[in-house]
This record gives sequence, C-alpha cells and structure tokens, in this order.
Amino acid sequence: MSQALQEASGTDSASIKAAAPSTPSPASLQSSGRAAPRCSVRGVTKSFGDTSILKGVDLAIPDGSFAVLVGPSGCGKSTLLRLVAGLEEADAGTITLAGKDVTRLPPRDRDVAMVFQSYALYPHLTVRGNLEFGLELRKTPRAEIDKRVAEAASMLGLEPLLGRLPKQLSGGQRQRVAMGRAIVRRPTIFLFDEPLSNLDAALRAEVRVEIRRLHDRLKATTLYVTHDQVEAMTLADTLWVLNNGLVEQKGPPLEVYERPRTTFVATFLGSPRMTMLDGVIVREKGCFYAEGGGVRALLDDDRFGDSLVEGRNVRIGIRPHDLGLAKNGAPSVAELKVEIVEALGSEAFAHGWLRASGPSVVARLDADEARSVRPGSAIRVAVAPSRMHLFDPKTGLALGL
Amino acid sequence: MGEVNRAVALGRKLTKLAFALTLLALVTLLGALSGCREPPRGIVVWHPYRGAEQKALESVAQTFSSARGVTVTLLAVPYDAYAAKLEAAIPRDNGPDVFVSPHERLGSYLANHLVAPAGDAFPDVDVARYVPTAVDAVTERGIRYAVPLASKCAALYINTKLLDEAPATLDALARKKGTLGAGVFPLVYEAQTVYFHVPLLHAFGGRIFDGTSYAMVGPEAERAAEKARDLMATGIVPPEPSGDLVKQLFASGKAAAVISGPWLAGDLEGGVSYRVVPLPSVEGAGKMRPFLTVDGAFLTPQGSTSALARELARFLGAPESADVRRFVGKQDVATKSAWDKREGHAPTADDAVLEAFHNAASDAVPMPTSLAMRATWVPAEQALRKVVRGEGSARAAMEEGLARYLDVMRPLPAKRPSPAPLVSLLGLTLLAAAFYAVKRARHPGFARELRASKPAYKYVLHSALTLMVLVVLPLVAGAGTSFFAGTRDAPQFVGLTNYIEILTVRGRPLGQWLSHGSFYLTLLVTVLWTVVNVVAHVSLGLALGLLLAKPYLRLRALYRVLLILPWAVPSYVTALAWKGMFHRQFGAVNAILVALGAEPISWFAKFSTAFAANVATNVWLGFPFMMVVVMGALTSIPKDVLEAAEVDGATRSQAFRLVTLPLLKPTLLPAVVLGSVWTFNMFNVVFLVSGGEPDGSTDILVSEAYRWAFARNAQFGYAAAYAVIIFGLLALMSRALGQVGKDKSEAKS
Repeated sequence: MSQALQEASGTDSASIKAAAPSTPSPASLQSSGRAAPRCSVRGVTKSFGDTSILKGVDLAIPDGSFAVLVGPSGCGKSTLLRLVAGLEEADAGTITLAGKDVTRLPPRDRDVAMVFQSYALYPHLTVRGNLEFGLELRKTPRAEIDKRVAEAASMLGLEPLLGRLPKQLSGGQRQRVAMGRAIVRRPTIFLFDEPLSNLDAALRAEVRVEIRRLHDRLKATTLYVTHDQVEAMTLADTLWVLNNGLVEQKGPPLEVYERPRTTFVATFLGSPRMTMLDGVIVREKGCFYAEGGGVRALLDDDRFGDSLVEGRNVRIGIRPHDLGLAKNGAPSVAELKVEIVEALGSEAFAHGWLRASGPSVVARLDADEARSVRPGSAIRVAVAPSRMHLFDPKTGLALGL
Repeated sequence: MGEVNRAVALGRKLTKLAFALTLLALVTLLGALSGCREPPRGIVVWHPYRGAEQKALESVAQTFSSARGVTVTLLAVPYDAYAAKLEAAIPRDNGPDVFVSPHERLGSYLANHLVAPAGDAFPDVDVARYVPTAVDAVTERGIRYAVPLASKCAALYINTKLLDEAPATLDALARKKGTLGAGVFPLVYEAQTVYFHVPLLHAFGGRIFDGTSYAMVGPEAERAAEKARDLMATGIVPPEPSGDLVKQLFASGKAAAVISGPWLAGDLEGGVSYRVVPLPSVEGAGKMRPFLTVDGAFLTPQGSTSALARELARFLGAPESADVRRFVGKQDVATKSAWDKREGHAPTADDAVLEAFHNAASDAVPMPTSLAMRATWVPAEQALRKVVRGEGSARAAMEEGLARYLDVMRPLPAKRPSPAPLVSLLGLTLLAAAFYAVKRARHPGFARELRASKPAYKYVLHSALTLMVLVVLPLVAGAGTSFFAGTRDAPQFVGLTNYIEILTVRGRPLGQWLSHGSFYLTLLVTVLWTVVNVVAHVSLGLALGLLLAKPYLRLRALYRVLLILPWAVPSYVTALAWKGMFHRQFGAVNAILVALGAEPISWFAKFSTAFAANVATNVWLGFPFMMVVVMGALTSIPKDVLEAAEVDGATRSQAFRLVTLPLLKPTLLPAVVLGSVWTFNMFNVVFLVSGGEPDGSTDILVSEAYRWAFARNAQFGYAAAYAVIIFGLLALMSRALGQVGKDKSEAKS
C-alpha cells in the first residue's frame, strides 16, 4: 500500500525540486521560543561520491518528543539518522545532542541508542548478553546493569527469553530485544531505523502501539525513520516529511495530513492517495468554483482568500475519503462512472472515471451505500468545500495557506 | 499411454544393453592391453645409462645381436626408479634377462631373489680379464654374481692454474691456504656426506662397515671425523658444501681442488683447466681411499636359464665390447685389455681423465654389498655432522652413531605363536559394534527411515565404493601391517609388539625416554611444531584477512592474489626454494643478515634455528588458507551488527574482540582443526627443508614413520604402527578441538 504511494510520488517531487527556492525556509517552520531542543540538526549536507543525498537539512527535536522522519525510499531519511548516530559523517552542518556539538564525534561519544531495521542483535550473545553489552562497555556497575536489564525485560516481557540466543527467537521477540538494548542504555536520544519493516502486518500494528506506549512511559526523545505513513501518522508528535534530501513539511501529523503544503506531501500521505486533477478557477454568481477533469466544486472563499482569481490554472486535490455520495440535496461535484467497488466491510471504495480520458478517481462509500452501487453504474459524488485542496500547477505549492 | 510406457521401457532396456556392451568392450580392451605387455622374444636388457654410455651399450648389443642372430632389446630405466621396477617386474617374470646395476645393491637383490649366479657368463678363466677390485666387488661369499663392466670412484680434480702439481698429501694442500687468492678454498668436497668422508676414514684406518655390522667407531673413526672438523674450522674446506656447490666453486676457480666422481667432468664445460689425480695421503696416517662402485651385468633368475642371455652378459665384458665402452662410452671399464697402450690412437683430454680415474680406482675400496650396509649411512652421517658441528666429543658422537645403527638393526621381536589375543580383541570390538548396531536397529524409527532412504543408496554407492577402495582399505591394510615385523617377503606376526616397542622406546630405561629417536621426543617436537605453526597461521591469516577486508585499501584484488599465491605453488617447490634460501653461505636469508651487519647463521646446525626455518616455510605455505577462511567468514558478519556495537559504545578493538572474533569462531574452528591435522602431518616441509637436521631432532612423527619404513632397514610394520598411532592422536585431537568449541558456546548460552 505504502509502496504504491512511494512510487506514485516520484512525478510530483520533480515539480517540487524546481520550486524549491520559493519554499519558505524550513528554519522558519520550527517552533521557536521553547527550551533548547534535545537534538538539533542544522544545515547538514551529505554526498556519496557524486550523489547528493542530503542538501541542507534542519531538524529540531524537543526533549521527550517523538519525531518521525518519513519519506519515500532514497529521500535521505536513513542517512540523516545515521548521521545523528555517528555512523556516517556529515559533509557540512552541525548536529547537536543535549546541547553538545557531536558533528565530528564517533558514535560511542554521542550517547545515542539505535534500533536497526534488521535488529542487528549480537548472534553469539544471549538476550541478556545483548542487553548488557552496551552497559558493560561503559563500565556500569554490576548492580545497576542487573537493575536496568530486569526493568527493561519486564517492560518488554523478555524475562523468559533472557537465556536464549537470537536465533532461537521469533521476529517480534528479536525486535523487542533490539528495543530493550536501546532502553537499558537510557541514551540522550533513541534512534529507530524502520524497525517494523521486517514484521508481518498484524505484528507490526501491535508493536506500533507498543512503541508509542513505551514512549509515553519513558518520555524518551526519539527520532524514528519510516517510509510507512501509517506508522508516521500514528506514532509522531512531530512529522518531518523528507523528499530529495530536503524537508518538505513538518508539523503535527494531522496538520500535515489536512494541510499538505505541497503536492508531494499531499499525495504521499493518505491512502488511497489524493486524486489530482488539472483545472481552472471559475466564478459564477459570486462564488468560486474549481472546474476541470469532470469536476466542478464549490470553493471556500475564507480559506483560499486572495489566491482565488478567475481563470487561474490550478491542480485540484481531493482525498478519496472526502469524496462521497451526494446526498441530502448537497450539490454534486461530479459524476463517477464506477468500474469496480472495493468493499472493505466497514467502508468501500468505488474506483471509476469522471471522463473517459481522465485519471482514475476513487470515492469513499459507506458500507450500506456500497450495496446499491454496481460496477458500470454512474454515481453522483460530492465533497465539502472545506475539504478541497488547490495547488499551483507550476510550483506545486498549496494555495490558501 | 501404453505405447509411451512401452517405448520408455524399451529405451531403458536399450540403455542397459548399451551399458553392458560398453563394459564388455572395456574388459576385452583391457585384456588385449595386458596381451600387449607380453615380453618380446629375444633378450631384454635393462640399464640406467644415458648419453654416451647408453650409446656404447647399444652399439655392443647390436654387435652381439647381428653376430648371433638374436634380438636384443635395450630398455633405459631411470635410475631413481630402478630398484623399484626390478622388484616389481622380476618376480612376475616381466623383467629383463640381464640388467646393468651398481654392485652395492647385490645384497638387496639377493634378499629379494632378483639375481642368479653369473655361472658361465663369468667363468674362472675370465677372472684374469678384469681388474681385481672389480672382481671382488661382484663376488659375494665366493660366488660371482655379475660381469664387471665399469667402475666409479671419487678422485681429486685439481685446477692447474692454481696448483702446479698434484699435492702429495692433504696437509700440503691445506698449507696452500692464503696463497691461492681471495676467496679461494684449497679443497672443496661434501665433507658432511659420508660417501666423501669415507676416503678420510680409510686413511686413518677406520671403516664404516666390517662386513656384518656398523664399524665407524673407535679411535680411527674419531680421528678421521676430527680431521674433517678441523678442515672446516680452519677454513680449508667450506662448511655445508653440496654437490652443486662443489661444481660451482670449482668451475668458477674458487676451489684449488675438489673431491668428486667422474660425473663432475661431464659438467665442467671448458672455462677451467684441470687434471684428475688419485686422492692424496694424510700425513701421519695412510692414503685416502674412496669407495669403489662397479657397474655389473647381472642375470635375473629367468635370464640365467637362457644360454644366450649368459653369453650376452659375458660378451658385454669381453675385450672388444670393453673397447667400445671405453672409447665411445667414456667408461672406466673393468676389463684390463682396454687399457693397453694403443698404436695410432692419439690420446685426448677425455682419455687422460678416464685414465686418471682408472688409476684412482685401483686403490679404491669396493663398497660393501650387504643389506645391513645400507643402514649405516644415516647413523654415520649424523655422527659425522655432530662432530663437525663441534657438539660434544668425537667419541660420544661415534658411539651415538653405533647406538642408532643398533637401534635400527635390533633383532626381530619374538614371533608370536598365534594371533589369538589380537583376534579375540578384534572379536570383542566387533561384538561391541554389533551390539550398538542392534540397539540402533531396534529403535522404532530405524526401519522406517531405512525404507524411506532406500532409493538414496544407489546414488551414494559409487562414492562409498571409492572411499572404501581409496581410504578404508589402505587404512585397514596399514593397520594390519602394524602387527607384523621383518622383511616384506617374510613377514612375521608379532602382535602388538611394534606398538609396545614404540611406546616403551624399544625397551630403553625410563631416563632415556626423551633421548634421540624416542617416540616421546618426536611427539613433543610434533606438538610444538603444530602449536607454533597453527598459532602463526591463524594470527597471520586473521591479520591479513582483516586488512584485506578494509574497503579503503587500494589494489585490494592485487594484494589478495599475491597473498594467495604461496598456496597455489606446490608445497615441495616452496619447500625446496626455502631450503635454498636458508643455505649457510649462499642463501638469501643469510645474505640479508650479513647486509644488516649480523653474523651468518648455520640454520640447520642447531635445533632452534632448523626448527625456525621449518616453521618459516610452513607459515608461508599455511597462512593463505586461514586468510581465505577469515575473508570468507568476514563477509558473513552483518555490517549492522558491528555498527550496533559501535553505537553501543565499543571502540574498534573492543568491537573486534567482543563481536568480530566470536562471530569468526564457528568458521575458524573447523579450519583450525583441519590446519592442525595438516600441520601435524606436514611431511613435505620437514623432510625437504631441514630433513630432520640436526640429528633428526626436527623430525616430526610422520617423517619419523617415513624413515622407519624407507630409510631404516625397511621396517614397514614398525612404521605402520607409527602411522596408526598418528591416526589415533589426530582423531583424539580433532575430537578435543571440536569439544572446545562446543563447550564455550554452550557455557555462554
């Protein structure tokens, strides 16, 4: 699901890159005036050979906050994480952890703990050995080690597994050991590198909740990298959307979801992804409409304000979840020729065309409504004016922000 | 469907038929081939000659063949394989009728029933035809066994530019030191080789063999050895000269005189003007008399029944053929008439050399032919070298030599009346195995598994058979041999006596259990050898493997190839190259030492240095394997595990010690077991580099076993017992090493 999203976002990101200079400086996006952030990254660049991976990234994570870095593969999010961990060295810029400049320090002097995608457990050590490893290296007193291991083990339910070797554990158990190994360290910051991607879907959902629960309990500052938007949305205090080595947007996940700043963010977040149609703004009886691709939708004057100019070319963005059957006399915006209906039980998605030449469009139906919609039929669909998204077709930036 | 099935069945039948036909054809072909091996009619002669000697012999044979109208087939057999081929062919009636061989092997030929008395090939009337020493040489207990053809002995080559006249005595020659020019030795000979020491021994009235036993003991032998030591200590003779060195030094004018045989003349191609004279005398002692070797024409038991073969043998020694052999073959022929003054023959330089050797031969002592003589060389050489190295008194060294000889030639252990005790032991073992098998078979899963795996057996059958033939049978045969003693022809069942003798050091008192030739001393050396080597292999392999894994290292692929190269070269080639590099005078190692201002080292004169030389060679040979293993194992260590350690706070060395090394262990351990087994049995290096020098002290168990089998009176049973003990030790060692790995991983879990 998220895979499809990533691939689809490729085309949009190209337009963003061209528009990059006119984007508001990411620095201004940071919340200012609060206490110094636990982790801050300023102007970091990194290239491997001729390939520029990070092109000047700024990041600030307040103490105790859960920050999620999300973006398609190749966007540089893992590289950024490895830079913070010290496994790679930044070409330029500074990285500060708990007020200390660590840009040129090796990992052991940074006091970070990391959970790897493959868990990277020491195969020759038992679960207990894995948990103790970092503490022993730091010459932590024995009593303290035992205490912390016991604590972490009970927190994660690892007590019965302490004597086992990693190869005797299931994937979920290994994942928990990897987290335990980070927890016992009590580091300045926890780093997670796509820790759930090797788990099956059911387990992933379970562990996701567990991670959030742990965070709420430990109040540990966390930087979490994922390409899975569900993880990103559910876990983050602050979401950082990364694309092509730059931060595209940051903010609380719901805000980012509801007010995507660019077409890239708009299409990357949300599943099924946002429908994008080319259109123009028209004015009729004192009201502005967005018209194009078979859609004619009323716009909210208050929201878009001055950017509504008659005859302006726009990209119209509608999330499938906001597109529903026109009922109770609400004005329809389009007529959808239904091709298939995906019934998910609690809801359904109708896939179809507005115009023969247009893109495939998805609308959300209630479970009851889905029963009456047959493939081949045409349905009238509607969207609330407040749920409309408009983007400049040239810069890809959202209108009315 | 039925059609298809029938067709398939037919196809299978045809395949089977074709297979059977092929097999039949092969068998027939083999039969035909063995038919080809039928000896051709006429007389077959084997000889080890090459070049001019071969040509002369062929010409003589041709003369006989056309005169008598009989086919004479000459077969040149390389000298290295000569005895083995004779021993293999003659008892199967595949051998020659007549063969040419040095006389000193007569004892061995007699023991193996390979020769018959010469009979009318050498009638009494012919005795006057030949040089008396040559006749002596081919006579054993009053019976003449061969027609003497040509003699070989050592003589003195003198460089006529450096010496005006032949020195009358050895001491006169020695006094020339310092007057001959820089870096020129008055005399060069292989002073540490018994064959070339024998003239000195004879000069002092000693001998190496008295007809029945070792005789290089007593004051005469001691004085001769001391004389050799003094010659080297005073720089008159260079230390550690080899045959090649003798040739080089003489050809380059760095030796005023050398002691060598007629073969040297063929290797000197102009450049140096020389003359050959008989060996000089020693002041205060007698004349230096070399050993004489006489090539004789022997009759095989088969050949002696043929009048024509006997006639041919006689003809080979006859005056007319002797002339051909002298003038064409350049041989020092034993027939007197060939040396008569000739009219109209202009003497050449070759003739002069030949004549000089002929004169030298008249003083030479025929080499004893007894089988026991062969067992004297090694103890004598070790005794001689001990004196030359200046270790202890000459008397002690000589007595040790005798002890070594007696050790080798000790009487056969008492014959066991019956192998009953052993058979019962074997029976008990089989019984235990049977009990175990029954226990296994009664396990409920066993029958089921057997049925299930039935189709698999035909797939493993051929490898099982191969293993049976190539591994199991030789092992069983070897183990069986270890219960016997005596010669190959007359083995004698002695039960476990061989083992008991090995483990009790042939009945020596407990105080001597770590003296020379003891199993325990050799075991100690072997263990030391194995431990030192494996530790060096692993640490060097580990270091290089880790280095080659560094991504920032440029030309990695090139280094990798270069470092694996030692592994690709056959080990004996490497071993010989290293032996050359450790040469006292001309080796690269000493050259470097000297260039660095250090004293050159006689590498093979002391245990420590000889052992070090062996270790250096074997480390060179062995580290690439460990390196490759480490390189392979390193790729299987996930990168992120090392990164996790880094994030956890490990320094580079901690990450290596706590993560990399434990993760390498499962791969490295089997490699260490293998490496230990290979090193424990590394025959090539020990045999070729130090050759057990000094005094066999660097020999390891497997080279010791080899010596018992092939150098010490062919005690195959004793050697087999050694081999079985080695096998047992290695089996135990592998088990123990495997256990070490298991214990640790279990203790951690």
